[in-house]
Amino acid sequence: MLNNTVLIALVFVLITSSLLLITQRHKGSRLVLNGESITKNKEPTIIIAGPSNSGKTAFYTFLTSGKLTNTVTSQKTSVAHDFKLSKANTFRLMEFPGHNKLRKQLIDTLESSNNIKGLLFMVDSTTDPKDLTEVAEFLFQILQVTERQPDGCDILLACNKCESFTSRPPAKIKDALEKEMDKIIARKRKSLDSVQNTLNGSLKKTDDADNEDDQEEKSALLDIQVAGGFKFSSLEGNVDALEGSVTKNNVDKWECWIEERLIN
Amino acid sequence: MLEQFGIITPQGQVLYQYNISGKRFAEVQINKFIAHLIASPGAKGAEHNGKFSIVNINSGGPTKNARGFCTMYHITKQPELYYFATYSDASLQLNDEAEEILTLALSLWDSLKLNLGIIDNLNGKGDKNEHNYVDILQGLDDAVRKFDQYLKVKYEASIKKSHVLKEKTSTESYQKKRNNDSKGSKKKIAQSNASGRKWGQNGMMEEINSKDASLLDFSAEGDEENSYSINATIEKDSFGNRTENGEFLIKEIDELLSKEKVTSQQPAKETTLDNAFGFLKKHVLGNKTITEQDLNSILEQMKQQLITKNVAPEAAAFLMDQVSKDLVGSKTAGWTSVEITAREALTKALTQVLTPGVSVDLLHEIQKKAEEKQPYVFSIVGVNGVGKSTNLSKLAFWLLQNNFKVLIVACDTFRSGAIEQLRVHVENLAQLTDESHIRGSKNKRGKSGNDHVELFEAGYGGSDLVTKIAKQAIKYAKDQDFDVVLMDTAGRRHNDATLMSPLKSFAEQANPDKIIMVGEALVGTDSVQQAKNFNNAFGKARDIDFFIVSKCDTVGQMLGTMVNMVYATDIPILFVGVGQTYTDLRTLSVNWAVNILMS
Repeated sequence: MLNNTVLIALVFVLITSSLLLITQRHKGSRLVLNGESITKNKEPTIIIAGPSNSGKTAFYTFLTSGKLTNTVTSQKTSVAHDFKLSKANTFRLMEFPGHNKLRKQLIDTLESSNNIKGLLFMVDSTTDPKDLTEVAEFLFQILQVTERQPDGCDILLACNKCESFTSRPPAKIKDALEKEMDKIIARKRKSLDSVQNTLNGSLKKTDDADNEDDQEEKSALLDIQVAGGFKFSSLEGNVDALEGSVTKNNVDKWECWIEERLIN
Repeated sequence: MLEQFGIITPQGQVLYQYNISGKRFAEVQINKFIAHLIASPGAKGAEHNGKFSIVNINSGGPTKNARGFCTMYHITKQPELYYFATYSDASLQLNDEAEEILTLALSLWDSLKLNLGIIDNLNGKGDKNEHNYVDILQGLDDAVRKFDQYLKVKYEASIKKSHVLKEKTSTESYQKKRNNDSKGSKKKIAQSNASGRKWGQNGMMEEINSKDASLLDFSAEGDEENSYSINATIEKDSFGNRTENGEFLIKEIDELLSKEKVTSQQPAKETTLDNAFGFLKKHVLGNKTITEQDLNSILEQMKQQLITKNVAPEAAAFLMDQVSKDLVGSKTAGWTSVEITAREALTKALTQVLTPGVSVDLLHEIQKKAEEKQPYVFSIVGVNGVGKSTNLSKLAFWLLQNNFKVLIVACDTFRSGAIEQLRVHVENLAQLTDESHIRGSKNKRGKSGNDHVELFEAGYGGSDLVTKIAKQAIKYAKDQDFDVVLMDTAGRRHNDATLMSPLKSFAEQANPDKIIMVGEALVGTDSVQQAKNFNNAFGKARDIDFFIVSKCDTVGQMLGTMVNMVYATDIPILFVGVGQTYTDLRTLSVNWAVNILMS
């Protein structure tokens, strides 16, 4: 008899805890440190990324609170859950810091979410096209992850600070980035392999199939450019370039772009 | 005079700013400070003045007109906010002032219930706007305005007070009343030197009633007060008579602050029920606010694990510190134990340490320089026997494969056989690039090697010779259109000053584009000191540019040396050596290294 009651109690506990578990998972944890959550995040997501000092946080603040404020370099990701831009559906809006050392946060999120509606890549349009190498490098890192998904991910090159005298038109920036990407891919091929491949043999315990996948996909992107140079148009996701300016309240085009992504 | 005071979130939002010197908001300065925090996470080299940390940001960098400044800062956890005060240079007086404003701001911010409000807003409890979003300062505008007003009044009052104080011949007993510790009183005395100037620069008086303007002239009042024997309370009262409005505010603020102290002195008592539930929360349920006690044993365990992986105790302690800073006060996610959360945090900390702060694209940089018809110069340094020459030839092999013309320079004029060893490497490399190359034959310029790779040598000798060879080699490379110059230097013990000192003049004279230090993965704890000493040997103006960690194939999972070297200097690892052949050079994969260290 005692055994029975214990059993019933146990079953009850199991059921309730699993129910709780399911609801918790559905919400998606608010913290960046979300344990070892293997499940992919299914929330529709719009991501704001880009190099430091291009105006990401300013845009994020403007979108969320409608205010123009002073911002400083971010150290952590900003997230707005169940965000509503206008009448359109709710989504998760995320804004990532641009500093080199903090890019892992972005890459991790890109890898662990499978419903990314669009990625807004903020570029400072006053940058000299010759100095776009690092920007292109960053974009390359992002593409390496997003192009792994079957349909890729739509990317908007948001050319901020267009009110400035030295700003360049979006088409020009896109072209310059395309050229830089081409060069980067060429260089990546020539550069040394990453360490994980070769030590796989001796350190098999830690490296699993995951890393091999990684390499395959990487080479997939490298292959794109074989036929006559790298082109954004040959990617799975669409790449658009639109100008705008956060400080001059001129972000309608970007907002439209985001809404279009959400409807699809 | 302090320059700026501000409160920011790690997400980059500025919650409050106060430009004390009256200039406009200088984001650039704050961004520099944040970049420094990110680049060297623990802000190593930061002094700790009492309760707050200070970082010195040196001038220099790409823009010439940038000047150095100091930042004193404090980070609170719940909610995570950064309080900082910047000032031009570290003097006792300014440090003191900064400490005062930070203490004041912290208690004010808390007593105005801004912290609670922000936490509520972050948890989405506040009123949502049309975007279904709760702004971090939603409904707190009034409180912030109050904070602004109170802070300014109180801060200015404190400046005045210390000013009046200094005018007087302050007795010891008086000082003890104001400053509980003797250290503080010493600082007060030290302030007296610059007191006159401070008055003149203070431009923020508009906060106080205009009728008080006459009171700002403290030179007269100071004299007046000189004739009395004044203690702290009297002075405060007399001060209040004159600045009614200001004093009223100050009293209100003081009341507010003291009230807060009373309420906060009620520690939450844990019942046994809470304890039992806490155990569940800690290990199974999650959603637990992490305290230091929860972490202690886990951190100790993780630290031991890192140490077995060859991480120096110093570096391991630093990482644990990062983890505990990151976690104490935060909440675990649902269904996650504290231990898993701590491991996650450690992974994050390790990744951040190992990830380079700036992206280095060597091929790009070499190409850029080649277009200007300038050779790109590497010089390689390190302790004896770590594999400088071997890794140099591996690097040369990679560059040769990319169709660069490489000049290898024998700057090791000390160890016998060093040049001969390099000659063998050059012969090998020449043969690998051009199969028709006959070993031992000279190229058309009469040197060892062929058209693609060549050895530049000038025999053995003292340390003067090294700089001479380096300069000659660069000139030669320029004349003969070489793309890359690789300079091998003599191995030296990092703790021997006589061996290390020539490095500085070598770096100044030869001025290589990149200084590479080779460190071996085998070395263990000493690597911290090696990296530090080598980096310091080049003087303040020059740093090592990156590390090559050699012999990684010999240590298995004990990759701790990598962490040690980066921890000690904040210089990234670019390549790792994984074997004996010319192709065994790899770029570092941070994920790979972190996975191994965490396994």
